[in-house]
Amino acid sequence: MKAVGASAAMAIIGNFFPLEAAKAWAKDASGPLEKKALKIGFIPITCATPIIMADPMGFYAKHGLEGTRVVKAAGWAMIRDWAVSKQVDCAHMLSPMPLALTLGAGSPAVPFLMPAVENINGQAITLHKKYLGKVKSAKDMKGFTFCVPFDYSMHNFLLRYYLAEGGVDPDRDVKIRVVPPPEMVANLRAGNVDGYLAPDPFNQRAVYEGAGYIFMLTRDIWPGHPCCAFAASKEFATIMPNTFKAVFKSLVDATHYAHKAENRKEIAKAISPRNYLNQPKVVVEQVLTGNFPDGKGGDISAPDRIDFDPFPWDSMAVWILTQMKRWGYVKGDVDYNKVAEQVFLATDCRSIMQGEGYKAPAENYKKHVIMGKTFDPSQPEAYIKSFAIRRTS
Amino acid sequence: MKMPLLKVEGVSKYFQDPRSKNEFCVFSDLSLSVKEKEFVAVLGHSGCGKSTLLNIIAGIEKSNGGVVFLDGRQTVKPGLDRMVVFQNFALMPWLSVQGNIRLAVKAAYPEWDKAAINRRVEKYVEMVNLTEARNKKPAELSGGMRQRVGLARAFSVNPRIMLLDEPFAQIDALTRGVIQQELVRMWEDTGITIFMVTHDVDEAILLSDRVLLMTPGPGATLAEEITIPFSRPRTRDRLVEDPAFFKLRDRIVAFLGHRQAA
Amino acid sequence: MSNSNPSTLSVSSAAAVPPSGGAAAKKRAMLKAVDPGPARSAAGSLGQRVGGNWMVLSLFCLLLFLALWQRYSTVGNEKFPSPVVVAEHAWYFLSDPFYDNGPNDQGIGYLVGFSLGRLAVGFLAGSVVAVFLGVVLGLNRTLFKALNPYIQVLRAISPIAWMPLLLYTVQNSGWTALLVVFMASMWPTLANTAFGVNNIKKEYLNVAAILQMPTLAKVFRVILPGAGPAIVAGLRISMGSAWVAIVPAEALLGSLGLGYFVWNEWNNLGIANVIFAILLIGAVGVMLDMLFNRLAKSLAYTD
Repeated sequence: MKAVGASAAMAIIGNFFPLEAAKAWAKDASGPLEKKALKIGFIPITCATPIIMADPMGFYAKHGLEGTRVVKAAGWAMIRDWAVSKQVDCAHMLSPMPLALTLGAGSPAVPFLMPAVENINGQAITLHKKYLGKVKSAKDMKGFTFCVPFDYSMHNFLLRYYLAEGGVDPDRDVKIRVVPPPEMVANLRAGNVDGYLAPDPFNQRAVYEGAGYIFMLTRDIWPGHPCCAFAASKEFATIMPNTFKAVFKSLVDATHYAHKAENRKEIAKAISPRNYLNQPKVVVEQVLTGNFPDGKGGDISAPDRIDFDPFPWDSMAVWILTQMKRWGYVKGDVDYNKVAEQVFLATDCRSIMQGEGYKAPAENYKKHVIMGKTFDPSQPEAYIKSFAIRRTS
Repeated sequence: MKMPLLKVEGVSKYFQDPRSKNEFCVFSDLSLSVKEKEFVAVLGHSGCGKSTLLNIIAGIEKSNGGVVFLDGRQTVKPGLDRMVVFQNFALMPWLSVQGNIRLAVKAAYPEWDKAAINRRVEKYVEMVNLTEARNKKPAELSGGMRQRVGLARAFSVNPRIMLLDEPFAQIDALTRGVIQQELVRMWEDTGITIFMVTHDVDEAILLSDRVLLMTPGPGATLAEEITIPFSRPRTRDRLVEDPAFFKLRDRIVAFLGHRQAA
Repeated sequence: MSNSNPSTLSVSSAAAVPPSGGAAAKKRAMLKAVDPGPARSAAGSLGQRVGGNWMVLSLFCLLLFLALWQRYSTVGNEKFPSPVVVAEHAWYFLSDPFYDNGPNDQGIGYLVGFSLGRLAVGFLAGSVVAVFLGVVLGLNRTLFKALNPYIQVLRAISPIAWMPLLLYTVQNSGWTALLVVFMASMWPTLANTAFGVNNIKKEYLNVAAILQMPTLAKVFRVILPGAGPAIVAGLRISMGSAWVAIVPAEALLGSLGLGYFVWNEWNNLGIANVIFAILLIGAVGVMLDMLFNRLAKSLAYTD
């Protein structure tokens, strides 16, 4: 992946983000929809549940977006290409992706927005079943080969965080490879990899296929961590503000519906078929309801194994940016707050949520606790320096 | 005296051996002329350069000196006015008998309509007695039949002069006699001018008005010119009863043989 | 469709043939299409016996393979689907080939149609360009020698390797898929056309020159028919290359088609469906090749 010099990044952001204009549209837009039949890209993983379910369960239609369909992409690179070349109007993305796209890290720089988070939690570290009972902590994982779905992903950052906290250098002591999720399961079964930190349903699938077991839910690394997001290009939001607002509303609506435990079974049924997730319904249900066999022989009940909360805390963006800097994906100085606020639209999400009658947090920043260590978003540089294992000085 | 139809003046041809880089003279300073309606043959051993001479006249090979005049005008490129009949027939194997002739007729008369072209093609197919086989491809025809197509093709474009390059060399001896007679018939019927190269002494005497004897190369020349004294129609049966025929024949063979040895 | 339990057919005799339906039956049906039938003319009983034998052998190999597959798929815990399971899954798709469940799930008939459509457009465009360039190069020896090294280099590059570059410049997956097919279709045809044109008997060109044929007429009446068999041979290889390229291109670009189907089923670890897709891809490939065989026969000539 390409590291971007900070001054270049700031210049790009300065050009594309006159501060005032960026705030204006979400509040005012309430006219007729510029376009109704949208194409929304998604990757068939449970993280995209709100985006996917909004199609068969009528949330898009409810907000006037008749004819809007969700279109399946084979991988993150494809979603990125589709979004950049406008083959889809907006898309399901990993939460670091809009940041990376805006900064021009790993692709041409195109300003993107992340108005809402899709899911929080919902991942796991899955290991090959031969390690049952043998691996207790990160230290036991030295020399392992891991997979993640993409470089700019919470999976990658959480895995690295977990390993580093255990004293394992993710660049030197283990191998981390980028692999599409179904191939992770196949590779695990074949014994080519030792484990992966992947989106569901591929962790549960490994248990279902008898290839591995769930070592740790990411909920236990950072409870409430963001994972995937709804993303749109700034161009889309500026040129079609009413449509943008309608999609925003549909997804906030769907996310809240998905948050309720009593709805999870119905949702699993709606999104399992071939044209959506294309996974066995029982696996999807196990993921969404949080009642599942863990592959170690036991059954677990963890209702917030995956949860849905749209609020894009700017502090989450800052955390992601610190990790990008920590591992050398971005070099030089970064104006954390500025970038975070331009991409993660906490303020606008709040106004939409309140507009739809949902409660929203009062602040845009808060402290997060990750593996027992507190992250203070007002001290990003100090935070990075507080880690023994990092790639920056 | 009337201007000759074809005039070849001082034509030379050199080849360069690609390996030794030595220049090799095929022939130099050849001259000849052919009058309208004549049937002229060039007779010589294989390899003396007679086919090269014909190719130069046809325009499909370039000379290294000299000029070729047709109707008093210098020829530069190949053309329908000097149609060729090839030793190995050169028929398009994917076209039928009719198709091959049609290709030529269309090229010669581009402004004609379909009906006129079809009539012409049919006429020449009949002229060479191939009506039954008109839809066959060359692969389905014998050597003799193929050359008949070649002849029909050449006649059908009504060239100023027909150039025949050892036309019957690849046809079996039995069929050859029949086709030779047919050729003479067609020549007499159409009044066309024919220039033929051959290595067959009997054929030259049988068919042509004049024979030009070409010495073997390198540096071949047209050493002698013989006007054939026998009246037409000539048939093999009649000729073999004429002692003058054998005398002429022996003279030619001796000339060529003597030159060969020298 | 989740992985069902493999059935336990007895495989003690070679007559343990899986029930009809789906890919296996398709294969047998195709074999029969090639088989001219038992009633041969009186070509001699010896010839008849020798001629008949290869079909029996072929059928036997197929049945043996299916039997072994059936046997070993039930061994171990790898859950590799047996021929019966594959046939069941195949039947599921083949029995309803034209359903439409939105942009991510359509009937197999549509998918094959999309793939073939893409193939047709890209292949046609690539072939026209390749034949044109091939004729130009074939007629001009110096130009041919000058450009041949580059052609050989380009020819060696897998069409899929072009994809990232194409996607980057063209910015559209649909066009990229077409261009991948275009690239795959070009080089074998170009090389073969140039070769064929170059090797046309000089006599045919001499005749064309003597007949004073204008260039266009010469190209269409003499050069193309003369080089026809070589061109068709090139087209046939290109078609194979293009069909091979289109499946991964679709999988990597997300365009609806057979390649997409493979990826979508793989995402669900649906091996049986992946096998069905593979067999279908192979079957279509064979049919395309048979088409070219026919074409080649009609354009062949004996010198």
